[in-house]
Amino acid sequence: MSASSREIDAGGRGEPDRHARGDVDPRAWREETASLGMWVFLATELMFFGGLFLAYLYLRTHDPEGVAAASTHTHEWLGTINTAILLTSSFAMALAVHAAKDARRKAAQRLLVVTAAFGLAFLVVKGIEYGMEWRDGLVPGLRFTLAENTRTATLFFFLYFVATGIHAVHLAIGVATVLWIAWRLRAAALPGWRVDEIDVLGLYWHFVDAVWIFLYPLFYLVNLNA
Amino acid sequence: MKAGRPIRAYAITWAALLLLLALTFGLAHLKLGAFNPVASLVIAAVKAALVALFFMHLRRARALLVLFALVAPFALAILFALSGADYATREVHPAPWVAPRGE
Amino acid sequence: MSYLEEGFTLRSWLTTRDHKRIGILYALAITVFFFLGGAAAAIIRLELLTPQGDLVSADTYNKLFTIHGVVMVWFFLIPSIPSTLGNFLLPMMIGAREVAFPRLNIISWYIYVLGATFTVGAVIAGGVDTGWTFYTPLSTLFSNTHVVAAVMGVFIVGFSSILTGLNFIVTVHRMRAPGMTWFRMPLFVWANYATSLILVLATPVLAMTLLLLAAERLLHVGIFDPALGGDPLLFQHLFWFYSHPAVYIMVLPAMGVASEIITCFARKRIFGYKFMCYAILGIAGFGFLVWGHHMFVSGQSAYAGMVFSMLSFMVAVPSAIKVFNWTATLYKGSIEFTAPMLYALGFVGLFTIGGMTGLYLAAIALDVHLTDTYFVIAHFHYIMVGGSVMAYLGGIHFWWPKITGRLYSEAWGRVGAITIFAGFNLTFFPQYLLGFLGMPRRYHSYPPEFQLLNILSSAGAAVLAVGYLLPLIYLGWSLFLGKRASPNPWQARGLEWKTASPPPKENFHETPEVDAVPYAYNPEEKLA
Repeated sequence: MSASSREIDAGGRGEPDRHARGDVDPRAWREETASLGMWVFLATELMFFGGLFLAYLYLRTHDPEGVAAASTHTHEWLGTINTAILLTSSFAMALAVHAAKDARRKAAQRLLVVTAAFGLAFLVVKGIEYGMEWRDGLVPGLRFTLAENTRTATLFFFLYFVATGIHAVHLAIGVATVLWIAWRLRAAALPGWRVDEIDVLGLYWHFVDAVWIFLYPLFYLVNLNA
Repeated sequence: MKAGRPIRAYAITWAALLLLLALTFGLAHLKLGAFNPVASLVIAAVKAALVALFFMHLRRARALLVLFALVAPFALAILFALSGADYATREVHPAPWVAPRGE
Repeated sequence: MSYLEEGFTLRSWLTTRDHKRIGILYALAITVFFFLGGAAAAIIRLELLTPQGDLVSADTYNKLFTIHGVVMVWFFLIPSIPSTLGNFLLPMMIGAREVAFPRLNIISWYIYVLGATFTVGAVIAGGVDTGWTFYTPLSTLFSNTHVVAAVMGVFIVGFSSILTGLNFIVTVHRMRAPGMTWFRMPLFVWANYATSLILVLATPVLAMTLLLLAAERLLHVGIFDPALGGDPLLFQHLFWFYSHPAVYIMVLPAMGVASEIITCFARKRIFGYKFMCYAILGIAGFGFLVWGHHMFVSGQSAYAGMVFSMLSFMVAVPSAIKVFNWTATLYKGSIEFTAPMLYALGFVGLFTIGGMTGLYLAAIALDVHLTDTYFVIAHFHYIMVGGSVMAYLGGIHFWWPKITGRLYSEAWGRVGAITIFAGFNLTFFPQYLLGFLGMPRRYHSYPPEFQLLNILSSAGAAVLAVGYLLPLIYLGWSLFLGKRASPNPWQARGLEWKTASPPPKENFHETPEVDAVPYAYNPEEKLA
C-alpha cells in the first residue's frame, strides 16, 4: 500500500470508536451486544405475529357485529385472570434479572422459579379454556358446532386459536428456558455471561407478556356491554 | 449497588399494570360505542409501553436500542396502513350464491 | 496456517463455527440448488421450443415452473451473496475476527439444509403445481400436490435467513475494528447490512403467511375464501409484503459486490460514496412500501393501486442514483477488463434494463396489458439473473484468490463471463417481445406465431447453460492446479486484502486499525 494512496482523513465523522482507546469494558460490551441481539430477535417475533393482527383487522372491520357476537363465547374472567398472572410473572422476572445483576444468586434462582410458576399457571388456565372451547364445539376445522353467524365465528375462533396457541408455545418455551437457567444457577458461581443470559431471557419474557397484552382486548373485550 | 430504587420502580409499574387491567376490563362493560375498541387498544398500548420502558429497561437504554425497538411496530404500521388503504377503498360485490353475513 | 488447514475431516467442517467455512458450506449447498432449479428451467425451455404442449403434460409443466421458482428464489438467490460471500467477507471487511454469534451461524446452515430436505422431499413425492407464489384458492382448495410439504420447507429455510440477518446486524453494530466508522465501511458491508434489515423484518411475515396457508389447506376455515367470509387478497397482501422486499434482498448484496469490483478495476474511488450509502438504505426502506404493484389486476382497489404505483416509481430513484454513480466511477478511470469486471459491467447494464422495464410495469395502465405475460418474466430475470447472478459470479471470481488461495484462469474467466452475457440476452430479450405481443406466462403451449422468439430464447438458454458450467470446471480445476495467490493479487483496497490468501482462522494476526477513507484507489496506478 503506497503512501500516495493511503490518506489519513480528518476523522471526527461517524461514531468515535472506543475500542481503539481501550476504554470499553468487556462486560458492558457483552451485555449490550446480547441485548441488541435479543431486541433484533424480538423485532422478528413482532413481525411474525403481525400477520395475524392484519387478518384480525380485516375480520373485525368487515364484520364487526359478527366478531362481537363470536367473542361472547370467550371466557373473559379466565382471560382477565390470565392477564393478571402474566403481568405478575413479568414483575417476578424483572426482580429476578435485577437480583442476578446484583450477584444475589439464590434470590435470582428463586425469583426465576416464581416466574416459571406463574407462566405455568397461565398455561394451565389456557388449557382449561381450550378444554371448555372444545367441549362447546368452538374449534374450527376440528369441532365447530355454532349454528348462527358461522362464517365469521369460524374465522374469529380460527384466529383466536392460532394467535393464543402460538403465544402459548412461545410462553412454554420461555417457561422451559427459565427453569433450565434456574437449574443451572445451583452452581456456586455466577459468571457475567450467565447474568447476560438471564437479562436477555427477561427481555424475551416481557415480550411474550406484551403480545398477550394486545391479544387480551382483541379476543376477550370485544362485546362485554351487550 | 442501590438495590431499593429499581425494585420500587418495578413494583409501581406492576401496580400500574394491574390498575390498567382493571380499567380496561371495566370500560369494556360500559356502552361507549366506537370508543370501546379505541379505549381498549390505547390502554393496551400504554401497558405495553410500561413493560417496555421499565421491565425491558428502554427508559435508560441507548438511543440505538430504542430505535431498534420501534422499527418493527413501524413496519407493521406500514403493513396495516397500506393494506388498510386497499380494504377501505375497495367495493365488495358478493357473488349471488354467497349467503349474506350473519349466517 | 490458513483456515482451510485447521482440520481436514468432514466433522471439522460440519461442526465449524468459523464464518469462512460456513460461507463455503452455504456456497456448496446453494450451488446444488442452482443446478436443480436450472434443470427445471432447461426442461421448460425444451418444452417451449414447440407451440404444442408435447414434451410434458400441463400438470408437469406447472410443477416445473413452480419448483424452478421456489428453488431459485428461496434456495439460491436469497441466501446466495449474503450467506456465502457475506458470511466469508463481512467480518473481515470490518476488521473483526468473527460474526457476533458464531453458533447461530452454523445453526442457520443446518436450518437451511432441513428446509431444503422438506422441499426436495416434496419434489420427489410428486412436486407442487401452484407457482412459487402459492396463490389461493389454487393452493388452498384445488391443488392436488404436496403444497404443505413444500410450504413447510420454505417456512423452515426462512429462519435460516432471519438468523443470518440478525447476526450481520449485530456484527456491524458491535464488532468494527478501531477507526472503522460507519462511513469508512465498504459498500459491500452497507449493502449486506441493509439486506439484513429486510431479512429480519420481512421474512417473519412470510412465515406467518405460509402457516396460515397450510392451516387453511388442512382445516378449510375460509380465511382466504370469500364464500366463507375471508379474502384471497389477504393472502396476497401478506405474501407480497415479504416478497417484494425479498427482491431487494436478492439485489442489494449484488449492488454491494458491483461497487467493490468496479472501484477496484477502474482504479478509482467510488463516486458519491455517501449517496451510495443513503441509496442502499433508501432502497431497503422504500422497498417495504410498494408490494401492491404485484396486485394491480387482482381486485385490489384502484385507489390503493395508484398509491402503490406512485411509490413504485419513487423506489426506482435510489437505484438510478447507484447506476449513475457506478458510471461516474468508470469515467476517467483506468479500466481493466478482468473477469470480475466483465461480470460487474454486465450487472450494471442488465440491471438498468431490468429496472427500467420495472417502471413500465409500475404504470397501472401498462401493467394491465403486461401482467402475467413474458414481459414480467423478462423483467425480473434481467434483474435476478442478469443482475444478481452475474454479480454473484463476479464476486466469486473477485474473491476466489482470497477464499481459496488459488488463481483461476483469467482467460477462461473472461470466456465464461462473455458466454453468460451473450446467452443471457439471447434467452431473455426475446421474452420482452413475447410478453408485449401477448404471450402469457405459466402456459406450456402457445400460439404458433410466437415460435421463432421462443426458439431464440431456448437457444439462448443452451448457451447460458454452457456459460454456467464453465466456471464449475475451471474454478474447480484451479482448486487443485491453480497458481497460489498472493494476499492482494488485484491490488485492491479493503481490509480483507491485507491478510493472507487464504486467511488464517482468526482473519488477522493483529486487530487492524483503520485511518483511511474507503476506496483510496488512484487511476495513475495501473493494475500490475
